[in-house]
Amino acid sequence: MIYAVFAPLLFAVLIPFLSRWKEKVHTGWLILPVPFLIFLYFLQFVGPNFEPQVQSVQWIPSLDISLSFHLDGLSLLFALLISGIGTLVVLYSIYYLNHKEQLGHFYTYLYIFMTAMLGVVLSDNVFALYAFWEFTSISSFLLIGYWHYRERSRYGALKSMLITVLGGFSLLAGIILLTIVTGTTSIREMVAQADVIVDSHYFPFILAFLLLGAFTKSAQFPFHIWLPDAMEAPTPVSAYLHSATMVKAGIYLMARFSPILAGDPNFFFLLSLFGIVTLVWGSFMAVRQTDLKGILAYSTISQLGMIMAMLGFGTDVALFAAVFHILNHATFKGSLFMVAGIVDHETGTRDIRKLGGLMTFMPISFTLAIFGTFSMAGVPLPFLNGFYSKEMFFDATLVNSASGPFMEALVAALPVLAVIGSIFTFVYSMYLFFGTFTGKYKEEELPQTPHEAPKMMLLPPFILILGVITIGLFPEMFNQGLITHAADAVFGAENNQDIYFWHGLVPAFYMSVAVVVLGITLYLTKSKWEGIYSVLPGRLSFNRVYDWLIEKIETGSNKVTTSYMTGSLRFYMVLTLTAIFAITLGVLIQTNGVNFEVTDVAPITTKELIVAAIMAIAAIATIFVHNRIAIILIVGVIGYGLAILFVFYRAPDLALTQLIVETVTVVLFMLCFYHLPNLQKSTTPLLTKGVNVAISVGFGLLLMVIGVSAYNSRAFDSIADYYIENADPLAGGYNMVNVILVDFRGIDTLFEVAVLFGAALAIIAMIKLRRDKGAK
Amino acid sequence: MNNLIFLPIVLPLIASVIAAFFPKKLNLSRKFAQITSVILTIMTAALTWHVLTNGTIVVQSGGWEAPFGISIVGDGLSMILVMTTYIIGTAAVFYAPSVLDKQQESFYFYAFFFLLISGVSGAFMTGDLFNLFVFFEVLLIASYGLIVLGNGKVQLRESMKYVLFNVFSSMLFVTAIAFIYAITGTVNFAQLAERVEYVEQAGILTTVAIILFFVFAVKAAIFPLYYWLPNSYVVPNAVVSALFGALLTKVGIYSILRVFTLIFVHDTGVTHQIFIWLAMFTMLFGVIGALSTNNVKLIITYNIIPAVGFMLMGIGLYTEDAIAGSVYYLMHDMVIKGALFFLIGALIVAAGTKDLREMSGVIQKFPLLGWIFFVASLILAGVPPFSGFIGKILLLRGGLEQEEFLLVIIALISSLLILFSMMRIFIRGFWGDLMDNISDDRKRVRNLTIPGVVLVSISIFLGVGAEAVYPHVESIANMLMDRTDYISSVLKE
Repeated sequence: MIYAVFAPLLFAVLIPFLSRWKEKVHTGWLILPVPFLIFLYFLQFVGPNFEPQVQSVQWIPSLDISLSFHLDGLSLLFALLISGIGTLVVLYSIYYLNHKEQLGHFYTYLYIFMTAMLGVVLSDNVFALYAFWEFTSISSFLLIGYWHYRERSRYGALKSMLITVLGGFSLLAGIILLTIVTGTTSIREMVAQADVIVDSHYFPFILAFLLLGAFTKSAQFPFHIWLPDAMEAPTPVSAYLHSATMVKAGIYLMARFSPILAGDPNFFFLLSLFGIVTLVWGSFMAVRQTDLKGILAYSTISQLGMIMAMLGFGTDVALFAAVFHILNHATFKGSLFMVAGIVDHETGTRDIRKLGGLMTFMPISFTLAIFGTFSMAGVPLPFLNGFYSKEMFFDATLVNSASGPFMEALVAALPVLAVIGSIFTFVYSMYLFFGTFTGKYKEEELPQTPHEAPKMMLLPPFILILGVITIGLFPEMFNQGLITHAADAVFGAENNQDIYFWHGLVPAFYMSVAVVVLGITLYLTKSKWEGIYSVLPGRLSFNRVYDWLIEKIETGSNKVTTSYMTGSLRFYMVLTLTAIFAITLGVLIQTNGVNFEVTDVAPITTKELIVAAIMAIAAIATIFVHNRIAIILIVGVIGYGLAILFVFYRAPDLALTQLIVETVTVVLFMLCFYHLPNLQKSTTPLLTKGVNVAISVGFGLLLMVIGVSAYNSRAFDSIADYYIENADPLAGGYNMVNVILVDFRGIDTLFEVAVLFGAALAIIAMIKLRRDKGAK
Repeated sequence: MNNLIFLPIVLPLIASVIAAFFPKKLNLSRKFAQITSVILTIMTAALTWHVLTNGTIVVQSGGWEAPFGISIVGDGLSMILVMTTYIIGTAAVFYAPSVLDKQQESFYFYAFFFLLISGVSGAFMTGDLFNLFVFFEVLLIASYGLIVLGNGKVQLRESMKYVLFNVFSSMLFVTAIAFIYAITGTVNFAQLAERVEYVEQAGILTTVAIILFFVFAVKAAIFPLYYWLPNSYVVPNAVVSALFGALLTKVGIYSILRVFTLIFVHDTGVTHQIFIWLAMFTMLFGVIGALSTNNVKLIITYNIIPAVGFMLMGIGLYTEDAIAGSVYYLMHDMVIKGALFFLIGALIVAAGTKDLREMSGVIQKFPLLGWIFFVASLILAGVPPFSGFIGKILLLRGGLEQEEFLLVIIALISSLLILFSMMRIFIRGFWGDLMDNISDDRKRVRNLTIPGVVLVSISIFLGVGAEAVYPHVESIANMLMDRTDYISSVLKE
């Protein structure tokens, strides 16, 4: 199984090397067998006696991350869709994409996606699942941006990435919580502990994080906005990622975790609510679109909403229907995307306003489209699979029960909303089909003269339509071998439903009839009520919210950042000192650290007081003097004062050092300042000055309080005693300071010398490089 | 054998002095620097391996037993960071010739480079608070030398701010050391740990600890103390920015990690809670900065800040998972920041501009650069299975275990925005129509891309091959939380 998952990735890596033969053979042919063989591999498991398969490879055992694959019914259904439709899409793309395009890139992205998607549906380890999940987002980003010289492609790519990765990160938080609660990273073991999870106080967060992940990925309202823009990708990609597989990852996630999450009524409420709203909104918006792929995109959103809602219902019928519809949707929607691509390819436009009357030019595409659209609309005919799952959906909306006012309202509204959504589904299906293939042929509007596509290009949608019809005619054949197993996996127990065409005169049947009748009426009168779209959504679309957010993130962050990154050193210093002051003061108060006693300190003599006073006055004076030379002399006073204090405290060597340093710096400064212009009198407003004074004084006082408190908190003997005792006997020196410098702590001195070395080099570099530049 | 642990600190100092003798002989300087770096890297790797398998090595300098001499401590944490430093350094010396002009290179670039490496390694390995200050000075003086290299007007202006801010923090550092010495009578880490524990970090100690934290926070560029960073990292040459971005702020965060897991751990309700708050702001404001500009180099520079926030988050959470996450993230971030600065330097050469609004379609001419940059962006955002992911799950797990939901949500939003800031560069600069001003010097761009490729490969390995690395990080985190190993190795009780 692991080979099946990683084979596409391996080929993705090899593709750049295959491009050597690019001139002769279309790259697609070279790699077409890969998904087909994977499809055959998974096909062998199909049958009534299917048993789940497990295979595990260690990856990072110390973090409990492994590549453990678990193939149950649900995974099998998805794996077959991924590899099967993958095969057809690759075949289709060979005719869709021109030789001259960067095919290597296209197939690399596509095959990375294939591995990632197979990984998502087969992984039992949540972290592996997450890793694969992110890679589906990334490959989708690259595929949408495939024609990156188009502005819209770049826009769509970024949008899809931001929204799906947002969901991905949320999913990550959710699964980490799950691992914390259950202590395992295996989904199967988590399912076994379902009640522990639901009872945990983390549960609301788990639910919210997982739902956000699923809703963004599966384009649920209001996160659906990325999907229509994803249609900028080449059509094979739209057929594959953005209708049949990747967008169902969120559905898969919910289905996979529903044995855990369904124990909570909120799961029912949220999933049903978002699902049904998405269904209605998506189908409503689809009617408004003029781009064929736009219609299909909104249609996909709406259908995903329907599946999501059924997962929320959680009854055996609903879950069965959900699984069944995953399969049906993949077949009819995949074929419709391919037909749309063919129309685009052969006429040069996808704008439905320019199309019409193509029936005579493209009879095969026309025939395929009839089956596809009518199946999507849920027209009650025994050879259309879409009708079966839709009918089961209606059934499922009728049998929910719940308590609480909101829940009850939702339960009551579900059948009504389901019918409304289905009516619009019917309308856009008709609109899509008749608008393209019947009506007036507008020759002058079309960039190319239309003609039927090559046979091999028609083959993939034909196979899918064949699937639509076969499932429609012989539903039980698929039921026993495949769908039942998948439904079992989602339901967590045996879930065996029979699929019939004729249910008798049950409510679901009346609902279907209502959909058809009202659908036809609305379709025929479409021009009369189209005005509603200027009111709803009007200006209130979520696209605007997204664009506004992106715009605001850029301009807003610029505003915020430039507001404090002024380039003024003084301003930075003010902010820095204020922050340090405030937090340190807070800590000082909170930890009750003040220990301000002066009884223990050495007595202050008059001479010390005088020196200190001179130093203080000099320090304050520097602020008021506006002559550089005067300032440096005054600063010198402080330095010499310090030297005198050292003398008082019987540290003659320090005093000497201080004197030399002070003298040299004063002289050096004077030399430099000779070359500098006079200081400008500062013109800072009084308030700023006041603030600056307050900060300086405050900071100084704070440090003094801390210093005195620190002095009073001496709790231990200093290591200095050791130096005093051992300077002579062990280190052989009488001057303790010298011994510390060169022996006890010789490393300090060595590296201080290195600092001087560096400083010297820096000065040379600074001066000489400038001089050399001047000479040039 | 134990004395060999000195070599990663002392040998680059000697190399620095040697390099200062023949700065004008460029070929010789380059060969000397490259060969020396490779040899030193191999040697450090061997030492690191030795420490990871056989345990901490402590050397008391001059034979003066701790706490009276200076202890150099090669524990797991120090050694993996030193090794990462050497890897980045080696990549940098191979990158330098193609990105520096001859004049910059001949004015002691290699001397400053080795001095910087010496200072950084020393800071990672010293077991003595005052000695840490000394190594800070060493790396700072080297960085002053590097930042003014080239000597543009803007460069001097921004260098000035950089220098002044660092002088301020050095002053504060000495003050904090004085306070600590006054209270505890020692500056040796291990003995400090013992003595602070003995008095249960009572009284003024927590306040002093916070001042020390601020000293490191200025270096680490933590909110609200990072104002000096963005511009001073943008103005120097790309190789200098890469060294700064990969190494300097990390020394700050390492110091916080060391001091606040070894010494000041008895009032975490105050200190570590402050870290959590500051981590949130650091992440947010950093990434806001990254989104605020069209200067590609500035975008990368601002991205240093949220990464520091992530590491601080782990220290603040102070659980074994979270600390392991911080350590892993620290390694990852050094590597990936180095790589990104290298790549952005290559991009600027390739596109002929720093301004995102003026570049487009670079990937058409330089596909390798484009794809490596793309992968590096994903790594930075913490996408699995790369190195950023390992640190991130540990940090998030730590955060969720402590029920710091706000922190976790901010961390996730920051990750998303980091990705957004990087994708802006990728989508606008690399994608789109090929622009005319794009460089034709394929050879130079290739030379500039390769060091990035190497670092990105290492980063991928840190993710995909995490099993080879993570157990070591786990035991490092274990030792950091336990503390006794460090204390007893130094004080030999």
